[in-house]
Amino acid sequence: MKKLLFIIFYGFFFSYSLGSEGNKSFISTYEPENSGDFFIENTRILTGTGEEIINGSILISKNKIKAIGKNLIKPDGIKTINAEGKWVTPGIIDIHSHMGVYSAPGLRSSSDGNEATSPVTAHVWAEHSVWTQDPQMPLALKGGITTFHVLPGSANLIGGRGVTLKNVWSKTVQGMKFPGAPYTLKMACGENPKRVYGSRKREPSTRMGNVAGYRKAWIRAQGYRNKLLEYDSKSVEAKELEYAPTRDLELETLVGVLEGRILVQNHCYRGEEMAVMLDIAKEFNYKVTTFHHAIEAYKVADMLAKNHVCAAMWADWWGFKHEAFDMVWENAAIVDQANGKKGCAIIHSDSSVGIQRLNQEAAKAMAAGNRSGFNITKSRAIKWITFNPAKALGISDKVGSLEPGKMADIVIWNGDPFSVYTRTEKVFVDGLLLYDHEDSSTPKATDFELGIINPQEQRLRK
Amino acid sequence: MNNKILVYVTALLLSLNSFSEEILLKNATIHTATNQGSLENSDILIRDGYIVRIGENISSSSAIVVNLSGKEVSPGLIAPLSQLGIVEIGLVPETRDDTSNIYSAGLSIDSAFNPSSTLIPYNLTGGVTLTLTSPSSSGLFSGMTSVFSLSGSLEESLVASNIALSANISGGEDSKAAKILLLEDSLDIASSMWRAWSPLPKNSYYSPRDLRAIKRVLKREIPLVVKANRASDILALIDLSKRKKIDLVIFGAAEGWRVAQQIASAKVPVIIQPIDNIPHSFNELGARLDNASLLHSAGVKILFSSHETHNSYLSRQGAGIAVSYGLPWNEALKGLTKNISEVFKLDKRGAIQEGYIADIIIWDGDPLEVTSFVDGVYLSGKKYPVENRSMRLKERYLIK
Repeated sequence: MKKLLFIIFYGFFFSYSLGSEGNKSFISTYEPENSGDFFIENTRILTGTGEEIINGSILISKNKIKAIGKNLIKPDGIKTINAEGKWVTPGIIDIHSHMGVYSAPGLRSSSDGNEATSPVTAHVWAEHSVWTQDPQMPLALKGGITTFHVLPGSANLIGGRGVTLKNVWSKTVQGMKFPGAPYTLKMACGENPKRVYGSRKREPSTRMGNVAGYRKAWIRAQGYRNKLLEYDSKSVEAKELEYAPTRDLELETLVGVLEGRILVQNHCYRGEEMAVMLDIAKEFNYKVTTFHHAIEAYKVADMLAKNHVCAAMWADWWGFKHEAFDMVWENAAIVDQANGKKGCAIIHSDSSVGIQRLNQEAAKAMAAGNRSGFNITKSRAIKWITFNPAKALGISDKVGSLEPGKMADIVIWNGDPFSVYTRTEKVFVDGLLLYDHEDSSTPKATDFELGIINPQEQRLRK
Repeated sequence: MNNKILVYVTALLLSLNSFSEEILLKNATIHTATNQGSLENSDILIRDGYIVRIGENISSSSAIVVNLSGKEVSPGLIAPLSQLGIVEIGLVPETRDDTSNIYSAGLSIDSAFNPSSTLIPYNLTGGVTLTLTSPSSSGLFSGMTSVFSLSGSLEESLVASNIALSANISGGEDSKAAKILLLEDSLDIASSMWRAWSPLPKNSYYSPRDLRAIKRVLKREIPLVVKANRASDILALIDLSKRKKIDLVIFGAAEGWRVAQQIASAKVPVIIQPIDNIPHSFNELGARLDNASLLHSAGVKILFSSHETHNSYLSRQGAGIAVSYGLPWNEALKGLTKNISEVFKLDKRGAIQEGYIADIIIWDGDPLEVTSFVDGVYLSGKKYPVENRSMRLKERYLIK
C-alpha cells in the first residue's frame, strides 16, 4: 500500500509535463540550517499584507513565522529581541537585478548578462552565468534584500530565463535558488534590441521589427507544442515505436510560457508598446506578469490593472535614453491606485547601488503620490518592495509578507524605513541572522573580498 | 497723445527694470550652510536680489512678506561637474554637446549650453540653482567647467566662464603611469609654450587653445579637477600637484578614506558620490558609504555630486545617506552648497548669509530627506515657478 502511494505520488510529481525536462536539472539545493525559535517584541511592524501593527511581536520557529500580532504570548525562556523603537518589515525583494551576471568589479570577463548574438535566445538561462561570489550581494543584504530575481539583459527580444535567488552565501548557484520558485522569461521591448541588431544591419532594426520577431518566435513555440502534444496523445505502444520529439532548448522555454509554468518579465518603457505586448500575449494565449522599467506605466495604468499586470518601476530615473524621457515621480502611485486601487506597483532597482535602498526609492514614490493628492500609507507602499514583487515572481505563498507559515525573511530597521536616515539593523533570511549591525563579521564576506586590499583583512573589514 | 503713451510705456518699463524690491521670508527653519547652522523660526530679508538680513522678528514696511511657517529653507544646491545644459538624452548623441575630438583642455562649453533643456527646470524644481557644467570627453583632458544658473534665461544663465579644468587618468588601454606622465608633460609644455622642445610623445597634440587652458592651471588661476579613485592614484596626483604647484581637486575619491590624512594636509578638496559604494573596478575596491564621514573627520573638504546628471538634485539623497553613516548634518548641507562655492570661488553663493546672493530653496520638510519636496525657488531674489515638463505629463494623466 505504501509502495503504491509512493508510485502515485512519484507519478504525480514526475509525470510527463510538456517541454519541462529542464526542470529536473539545476534544482535548488538551498536548505537553511535550523534557526531555532526566537521572539521579536515591542516593535512597529509593516506586515506586507497592507497592515501596520504598533507594538507587535513575531514568533519565529524553525525558519518560519509561527505567529505575528499585537498580544502574542511569549513562550517561556525563548530567545528574545526587544525591538522597541525599531520598525520591522518583510525581507525586501528586488524583482530586477543583474547581480551575479553583471558582477563587481565590472570587467569584460564577468560581463555575462546579455547573450547579444541573436535576437531570440530563449535557450539561455541567467543562472548559468551567476558568479556566487559577487561582492554586490552582501551589500544588498545590508540594504534588507533577502530575495532577488536575476534576469538576462535586454539586448534581445527574448533574452532567456531569469532565476529567483535567496540572498545567501553559497558556493553554487543551486545553493541560492529559491526553492519552488517558477522560472521566468525575460523579454524586451523598444530601443535596446533594435539598437543592438539594427547597428549590425540585421532584423530587428525597428519597433515593428521587434514585434514581428516576438510573433515569429511564438509561432515556432506553438508548432513545437503541437508536436509534443501529438506525441503525448499517442498510446504507450505507439510511443514505443517512435522517438519522442527531439528536445529544443529554446522552444522548451517558450512552451513553458504557453503552458503557464514560466512567468513573462517584460522590459518595456512605453505605454503603447505595453498595449501591443498585451495583444501579442492574447494572440498566443500567454500572460505577461510584469512590465519592467515601465517609465510610462502611468499612461496605461488602468489597462495594466484590468489585465492584472504588474509594473516594476524606478522612483525617478529618466533621460538616459529616448524611451525614458517621459518619467513622472508619481508613476508608482498612479499604477497602484488605478482601477479602484487594484493596481500592482513594484519598485525595482536594476542597479547594485539602488538595490541597497529600495526602501528609500519606495519612500520617494509614495511621497510624490501623496503630494499629488493620493493617500498612500506606508503599510501599503511597503508592498511595492515586498508582497507585490513576490506575487509577480510566483512566490507570494512563501515570502513577501509576515504571516504564519511563511519563510522568516525579516528586516529590523533602526527607524522609519521611509527615511533617508534609516538603516537596517538586523536582516534574517529563513530566520537566520545574516546581517547584524552590531556584528562586524556579518554579512559573510564573499571569496572575492578575502585578503583584497589588505591580505590580513577582508574588504573594508578586519 | 502718442507721446503720452510713450511716456507711460517708458515709465512702466523703467519700473519693471529698476529692481528695488524687498522680499521678507518669515517664520521658517533656516539652514544657513554656514557655521551658524540651522535657525528656528527665523526670517530672511532680501533686497535687490541679495540677502540683507537674517534673524528673528524682522519687519519691513516695503517688503512683500511671505509666511513660511512649517517650511524649511536652504541655499540653492549646486551641482558640481554635471552635464546640465549640454546633454538632453544620454543615448542620443545628437542631443549631446559634452565631448570633443577636436579640442581637449581648451574645450569651453559656454556656447553650447542650452538654458531651455528640460533638465534645467526639472533640477531647479529638485532644488538645484547653480550648475558647474563640464564636458566629459574621455581623453586626458575633458575641457573646462563653466558655471550657469538654472534660471532658464537665454541671455543671463552664464555666471562664470571657464573656472576649472577637468582631467582623467583612468580608462583606455594605456598605463596609468603614462597618463600621469602625460599630465606632467602637458603642464611642462604649457609652461614653456614652446613646441620645438616639446616633451610630448608622438600622437599627442595640443592646439594653442588647449595650451592656454593648461597654462591657467599652472598660473593657479583655476584648479585642475582629476577623476581618481584608487588610494595610490590620489597620492600620485597630490605629489604631482605639489611639484607643479597647482590647485588640485579630486573627483571620485572612492578610496579617499585610506589616504584621508594626506588629502587633508595637502588641502585638496574632494568631490564624491556618497551613494556609490560599489567596487566597480580594481581602482575602487575600497568604496564605502562612510567615506564622506571619514574624510570629513580627517579634515578634508567634501563636495557632493549626484550619481548622474539628469537627477543632479539627488546629491541631497547622497548627502542624507552620508549623514546616516556619521557625517554631521550641517557638513552634509555644506557639501551641497557652501563648500562647492568656496572651492570654485563662486562669489557670494552657496549660503544663507548677509551679503550673499539670494539663491534660496523653500522645502516642505528636511532638505536631505527623500520624502521632502521643493515648495518655492528664488534665484537672485526672484521667485521662479516650481514647474517642469514631467509635472505637465503627470497633470495630463493623473486621475484621482
